[in-house]
Amino acid sequence: MMISRRTTLAALAFSLLAGTALAADTIKIGVNEPLTGAFAASGTYVVNGARIAADEINANGGVLGKKIELVIEDNKSNPTEAASVAEKLITSDKVPVLMGSWGSSLTLATMPKLEEYQVPMLVETSSSGKITTSGNPFIFRISPPSSVEADAFEPIAKKLGLKKVDFLVINNDWGRGAAADFSKMLKANGVEVGLTETMDQSAQDMSAQLSKLKASDADTIMVTSAVDQLTLLFKQMAALGLKKRVITTGGSQNPDQIIAQAGPAADNTMHLTTFLPWWPEKTPNPEATAYFLGEWKKRGFDFAGATESFRGYDGIRTVAAAIAAGGGTDSASIQKGFWKVDMVGLNGPIKFAKSGPAGKESGQSKPNVYLIEITDGKVKQVQLGG
Amino acid sequence: MDQLLQHILNALVLGGTYALLGIGLTLIFGIMNVVNFTHGALYTFGGYAMYLAAVALGLNFFVALPVAVVAGLLLGAFIEFTLLRPLRRSDIDTTMLVMIGAGIIMQSGTLWIFGGVAKAVPTPFPAQPLVIGPVSLSYVNLFVLGSAIALIAITYFTINGTRLGRAMRATFQDHDTAALMGVNVSLIYTATFAIGSALAAAAGALLGPVYVVTPQMGELAAVKAFAIVILGGLGSISGATIGGFILAFAEELGAGYISSGYRDAMGFLIIIAVLLVKPTGLFARAERIG
Amino acid sequence: MTRFIAPLFLVVFALVPLGLKDPYLLNALIITGILTICAMSLNLLLGFTGQLSLGHVAFFGIGAYVSALTALGFDVSLPFGLRITHEGGAPLVGFVLAVALTGLCGYLIGRLSFRVRGAYFVIVTISFAEVVRLVALNWVELTQGPLALTAIPNMVLPVPGLGDVALRSKMQNYYLVLAVAAVSYLVIARLVASRFGRAMRGLKENESLALSLGINATRTLTVAATLSAAMAGAAGSLYAHYIRIIDPDVFLFSYTVTMVIMVVSGGKGTLAGPLVGGILFGLLPVALRPVMAPEAQWIVYGAILIAILFLMPRGIVPALESLALRLRPAPEAKSAAKPAEAGANP
Repeated sequence: MMISRRTTLAALAFSLLAGTALAADTIKIGVNEPLTGAFAASGTYVVNGARIAADEINANGGVLGKKIELVIEDNKSNPTEAASVAEKLITSDKVPVLMGSWGSSLTLATMPKLEEYQVPMLVETSSSGKITTSGNPFIFRISPPSSVEADAFEPIAKKLGLKKVDFLVINNDWGRGAAADFSKMLKANGVEVGLTETMDQSAQDMSAQLSKLKASDADTIMVTSAVDQLTLLFKQMAALGLKKRVITTGGSQNPDQIIAQAGPAADNTMHLTTFLPWWPEKTPNPEATAYFLGEWKKRGFDFAGATESFRGYDGIRTVAAAIAAGGGTDSASIQKGFWKVDMVGLNGPIKFAKSGPAGKESGQSKPNVYLIEITDGKVKQVQLGG
Repeated sequence: MDQLLQHILNALVLGGTYALLGIGLTLIFGIMNVVNFTHGALYTFGGYAMYLAAVALGLNFFVALPVAVVAGLLLGAFIEFTLLRPLRRSDIDTTMLVMIGAGIIMQSGTLWIFGGVAKAVPTPFPAQPLVIGPVSLSYVNLFVLGSAIALIAITYFTINGTRLGRAMRATFQDHDTAALMGVNVSLIYTATFAIGSALAAAAGALLGPVYVVTPQMGELAAVKAFAIVILGGLGSISGATIGGFILAFAEELGAGYISSGYRDAMGFLIIIAVLLVKPTGLFARAERIG
Repeated sequence: MTRFIAPLFLVVFALVPLGLKDPYLLNALIITGILTICAMSLNLLLGFTGQLSLGHVAFFGIGAYVSALTALGFDVSLPFGLRITHEGGAPLVGFVLAVALTGLCGYLIGRLSFRVRGAYFVIVTISFAEVVRLVALNWVELTQGPLALTAIPNMVLPVPGLGDVALRSKMQNYYLVLAVAAVSYLVIARLVASRFGRAMRGLKENESLALSLGINATRTLTVAATLSAAMAGAAGSLYAHYIRIIDPDVFLFSYTVTMVIMVVSGGKGTLAGPLVGGILFGLLPVALRPVMAPEAQWIVYGAILIAILFLMPRGIVPALESLALRLRPAPEAKSAAKPAEAGANP
């Protein structure tokens, strides 16, 4: 008993140490994403995007004369695991910088570890306001929190002439945050806000909430959720004969997947999105977009995933830019480097502005936000000229 | 008023699917005394079997449906034969844990094979809903409700009107006596688990096209199924059917008129209330675990 | 032989941090330790009274929230114009409150459901956990709902001569968890060996006989439920102050499943079972992580679980005990039994 216990532990320790730093001529980037569990599909897309960026950077000679190496770990869509994974990447794999962790609760769980080990992390997807306002100077975020998205929506709201808006949001930080921030912005612009309904993140039947919304006198429903639930919502709206203006927020819509799976039920819905893979020439960085989409296609991935995975691609390119700008491969240099990043990502300029309590600010970049509409099974950009 | 009518109609449709989810689980628990933690995974399996048959093989929707159900039947028989039969004499916690292990393997295997991205199964029904006065209903939901009622009726008839059903009921009453009377109890167990699995797969195959098919689809379905079985009383088919409709009405009206955030709590609050008033559940005699 | 497992574990695990400096492995041991405390508490119900709580995570989560909110403070308005404001206080007070309040919850659930027991206890506990999770998710004013409670302070312990010490390092937290685990173990061991423990087992083995001997079933089971819940609450408090962020995901059903796996695979109704099962299934994911793809890790995890139950349907510790019993009267048979022992070891 005693012997076997000791050998098991020794074997365990050995197997973990064996995986660490064999080559010092690469720069490691830890990637902490959900690859199993509830968010497996999205996490996998982000990782695939990250791999494209790493290969591209290495093909062009790497950073500071060294190749970069992604150390990818699965956080199982579970906050406890996300914190453990951060610990493993930092202490066992000795990565000087991280990217992660898709969901806000996953990212929040890793943040104490960043402070403990003084390692910076690029946040590619999470939207909770708390991430950049709680005074963690190791956080650099390229995804928009819902307040940034709401600000970007302000001129669009005026053009659309909204009168009264109801909300239907996923019952987590993302949905709740969106409902709060958009309500505030709309009220400030004289738009009435009616109901705010929530749905569980794994719910499949939303007919009760939709029936209630159908009976309301609002002209527009703003919806925040991920692509799978949006698909179901549009189908169920059609089944209930609910015909109001629908605008989705949050940037996880994958409009092509919605069109493929919801069919005509998706027609005339509007979506706030941060990336326009349909028209590479219209994006802020057409060259990079074309390269990314070409590579995405070459590797046999589904086009519909591009709106999710581009964040992984931009994330790794931002990390590489920070390493180059900081001039060193240690965490402190990379942290300084993040503040000097000034590049054009697939959805606009990436440049970090200070956010949160003075002296301990996090970095927040402000991406572009676009409004698109699905018409006759095609995606079209809503032009809000002048 | 119009809103209320629509809520009632929604609850009827949802209740049919909930009942279908519940009866497979209650059958296996009642007859075999096994807490089937693969129920959700079998539901997911039905969804993917439907996807493979209808999309990958290109079969007609109405042909693919029975194919998926039969696949669930065979998988259920296989699980019973390999995992439960050797543990016949073990206690309920051991078999429950083996089922948890099997459920983990099935769900992770699905994710590994198909990936996490949702799959859609097209249906031959028109997208335009059927509008009756102030309420509307999609044709596919109508079909699902009809199929669910038909499957429940077939199961009920099988249990109450056939020789197999009589043997199953005898085993439910007292498996030792049933064995003495010449019932092949091993075969009854395999048949019971296979039928329960086929019902779970049927639910997944019917609802996969209505919703989307994902490796996680079974998780919430399993939680609902447990609630339904509890509401109806363990081991009772008519109880599970009524339990399914009660849960659907509670959720639908709770979300419509109280709070959508507490929608999924409604069923459980009813359960606690029911057990306070009538501790044996609504429709069945008391059961004991262990 | 199994009598020595627990003291042996205590010694081995007290020495581990002296040799093991890898913070990741220490972190894994801390999380494993916290879950093992939960497993021990679940075993008190499932193993010694035969009542399965499939909502045990509710007590863990309530403990985490009570402790975190006591430390952070809150401000909620209640119906009828009532308002409760709390400034935030010492984490140790949170720990004590967490233990007290979860114990109270356990008492109430016990009173409520032990009238019927069996399957209905399972049901009431599942329902309770689900309702509590939804309250944590939707009562945003108190719990911040899905927005999570962040910046929870580390546990602070008053140390004679040093004043208040905040447990920031891995090592400190490790020993705190180990100490709480040891205390929980002792409480359970004492309880089981007492008259009270005999009453619990009597109820499990033969209820009508136990009742005819004058054992008060409801009282016995309620005390077990209260203690069990309080221990899970203590574990929740440790978790909150170690991870330092909690959200309604602490009520995930998968934590309950993990606890049940630990108890039943190790051997329910044995003192050492949850320890063996807890350490095995706590560290298994850590061992599998570097070896294979994420999905494969889960598949192997499930397969190992099934394999253990096929080889040892009553769990690892009872299997070892019966092996030891078989070996004792005939020491010359030892060499023949060796392969079996190797196979039975985790």
